[in-house]
Amino acid sequence: MFIGWDSEAGLRGGRTETVVMERASAGFRKNHCFWCPWSCGWLALSPPSPQELVSRLLHLHFRDDRTKVSGDALQLMAELLRIFVVEAAVRGVRQAQAEDMALVDVDQLEKVLPQLLLDF
Amino acid sequence: MEEEQEAEEQERFSSQQRLKAAVHYTVGCLCQEVAADKEMQFSKQTIAAISEITFRQCENFARDLELFARHAKRSTINTEDVKLLARRSNSLLKYITEKNEELAQLNQERKVKKKKKPEDGNQTCREPAEAEGGEAES
Repeated sequence: MFIGWDSEAGLRGGRTETVVMERASAGFRKNHCFWCPWSCGWLALSPPSPQELVSRLLHLHFRDDRTKVSGDALQLMAELLRIFVVEAAVRGVRQAQAEDMALVDVDQLEKVLPQLLLDF
Repeated sequence: MEEEQEAEEQERFSSQQRLKAAVHYTVGCLCQEVAADKEMQFSKQTIAAISEITFRQCENFARDLELFARHAKRSTINTEDVKLLARRSNSLLKYITEKNEELAQLNQERKVKKKKKPEDGNQTCREPAEAEGGEAES
């Protein structure tokens, strides 16, 4: 469905697109996410709750099937990830302001990335 | 056999793609808030880059959390593991610890409320039953 995202995907994403888009087209037009470089129709109908999203993200990378996450830990992780994103954004803004730019571009993000990753 | 494997791989792939898209959407929302607050715009590539970084960082977080829990001979990840994960920056650790205490307090208050509820519930159940009983008699 999302052809452009991953270079490894190649054209594989294209095949599933028509099916998902048909299902999504009903409510899609109203809730298009403007900042997406491609239209994620799936999301427009029901964006996942932060808790569910974090849970799925973590479980995707667990090596052991028996690993579980407590509710409190899940909420804390959601908060941690939120801080991560906001921190990346704010540091990018600060860098852009220091460089007297009107827009935060990838160049500014690249400069703040090393320290961001060291802090997390 | 190969077709089955390929189909399975495709499914795993598209679910990962959907997760990435969900992350992208959430990151986009958060960046919009920051942009509105700081009066500075983000380019689309920046937002895409931040969501890709977040997605990859999640992998590191998940593996670390799993190993922390296993080190403590547990199979369930708890808040202590998350606090250990946030150890690199002092201010981050402090914030996470405070947030943890806030959440613990919230849960405590919710438990107290839940204990009170059954008592109220019993009272409201009794009233309509009595009313019905009264009508049946008359």
